[in-house]
Amino acid sequence: MSQQRRTSPRRRRLRRWAFLLLALVAAGTLAGLLTPQRQTAVAQESGTQRQGEQIYLNTCLTCHGAQLEGVEGRGPSLVGAGEAKVYFQVSTGRMPLARQQAQGQRKPVEFSDDEIRALMAYVDSFGGGGAKMPEERGEALRGNVARGGELFRLNCAACHNFTGRGGALTSGKYAPSLDPANEEQIYTAMLTGPSNMPVFGDRQLSPEEKRDIIAYVESVQHESNNYGGHPLGSLGPVSEGAVAWVVGIVALVLLTLWIGARA
Amino acid sequence: MSERDKDAISADELDRMSDDELVRLGTRLDDVRLVQYAERWPVPGTKMERRALRHVTGWFVLAGVSALALIGVFVFWPYEYLPPGAPGYQVRTLYTPMVGLTFGLTLLGLAVGAVAYAKKFLPQELAVQQRHSGSSSEADKRTVAAEFRDAGTRSGLQRRTLFRRVAATSAGLFGLGLGVMAIGPLVRDPWKHGDSPDSLWRTGWKPINGETVYLRLDTGDPDEVVLVRPEDLRAGGYVTVFPFRETDREEPERLHAALRRADSAVMLFRFRPGTTVTSRPGREDFHHGDFYAYSKVCTHLGCPASLYEQQTGRLLCPCHQSQFDVFAGAVPIFGPATRPLPELPITVGDDGYFVARGDFAEVVGPGFWELKP
Repeated sequence: MSQQRRTSPRRRRLRRWAFLLLALVAAGTLAGLLTPQRQTAVAQESGTQRQGEQIYLNTCLTCHGAQLEGVEGRGPSLVGAGEAKVYFQVSTGRMPLARQQAQGQRKPVEFSDDEIRALMAYVDSFGGGGAKMPEERGEALRGNVARGGELFRLNCAACHNFTGRGGALTSGKYAPSLDPANEEQIYTAMLTGPSNMPVFGDRQLSPEEKRDIIAYVESVQHESNNYGGHPLGSLGPVSEGAVAWVVGIVALVLLTLWIGARA
Repeated sequence: MSERDKDAISADELDRMSDDELVRLGTRLDDVRLVQYAERWPVPGTKMERRALRHVTGWFVLAGVSALALIGVFVFWPYEYLPPGAPGYQVRTLYTPMVGLTFGLTLLGLAVGAVAYAKKFLPQELAVQQRHSGSSSEADKRTVAAEFRDAGTRSGLQRRTLFRRVAATSAGLFGLGLGVMAIGPLVRDPWKHGDSPDSLWRTGWKPINGETVYLRLDTGDPDEVVLVRPEDLRAGGYVTVFPFRETDREEPERLHAALRRADSAVMLFRFRPGTTVTSRPGREDFHHGDFYAYSKVCTHLGCPASLYEQQTGRLLCPCHQSQFDVFAGAVPIFGPATRPLPELPITVGDDGYFVARGDFAEVVGPGFWELKP
């Protein structure tokens, strides 16, 4: 046993403290290095997002909640809703809702394009996997009209009528007329299924098929595209039959009266 | 006047008669008296007459011109599709109306011309015809009856009883044969092959020889076979599917027919996660996770009940407003339909595609007499 170096109790205590401090710092650094990054990327707060947040807090908060978690009986959660959904609801004027009713309706838009984009960016920063806007814009979203007509009749015409006139559903709900819808609105509607409309995901109707459908809808808006003469409201047999009966039968009766009259 | 009166007129007398007199005689023989039979234009070639003729001719000229125009429109008018707004679109949309207009004007011109000619140029005629008393004279009745009896006796048919019966029976049997041919095809037993996919009890989903029946999309192209996988549908989506068998792949006619079968249309739903769904008793395992498949044929009168509200889970039939709750086994909740939409048992096969686990457990579409409630 060698001679022990004697150290004063004060220095020993000091050394203990220093060691403890070092260990704590090391552990903290290690923990900081080894703890995995949060999987949900917290998007960089940009100026656009701050503007979106302001709009959200002013107009959406009451029904959708401060953390977009939704408010029972007022509005659904918007976490993971995605920018496409925001674009459809806000750019058609459906949101902000005027009052709670069977379904939101199209009305004059509250916000400018920039404000809508800001709101989209803000909502999109909550939760992942939301529906995205299409790459193209406007006319570039129009595909093959003929194929689109086929797909429209198979997938959409049941509720929206064969030329997009719209129609009644249950309990005050309705499939709206497609006349005022622009290309992006039709695209995002199919993608997100607003209100009671079913969702048509990209694996069910590919983006190309969606563009075909958009081309068809745009071609029949406002009762245009009438290769058979006057569309009579584009409602089909009801208006056409009524006109055939009233006009046709009156004409026939008048002709018969003329033929039978004595010269 | 009777038959005898005609013979009283000799050939000489007839020779001496003018056409006008012969017409009068003919009508008189038919007991018709011409009270008034005046010329429209007693003096031919007046200004008025010429004007009337021009008027009538005008209609026929119109018909002729329209007929030429109809040919011209049909051959030369552009009709190929152009989207609205493209140059030439307006002209093209007028193709059908122009064909209709020229066609209609042609017919109208011919018809009005013919009627107008009759009104302006045929004589003004007022005729009275005597009505005859109803039955034949007693002499006629007796003589005709006697002639029939005479025929029976003289031909010997009255006497030759056996021959008469044999002949009558043969003719009767031939008549019976005609009747069998007419009615026979109508006599069918639709329930004889109750297990065939073509009977009212079964649908195109019924497995044949144990072959897998896939769920297939209608893409608008009947030759294209697109099967459905769970990831193809987003939550809140739905799609209409039809049965597909691998043995049909190279058979265009069967591929087409499968999409057109009235009882095969099925709606495949993917409900949102967390939706409270109740199944009807005995059908608890028909669904695959959030995926449910129901017949698209309304149980009221067979319309496609396809107006789907993905939030309320209501399915509306557009014909008579029947509503079904697809969150509760598609039971009817409003309107004239009384039976739930049948549910198709589905699962996902080894290759990842949806397959039917069998036919519906109940009858698809509107009810019929033999269907017990």
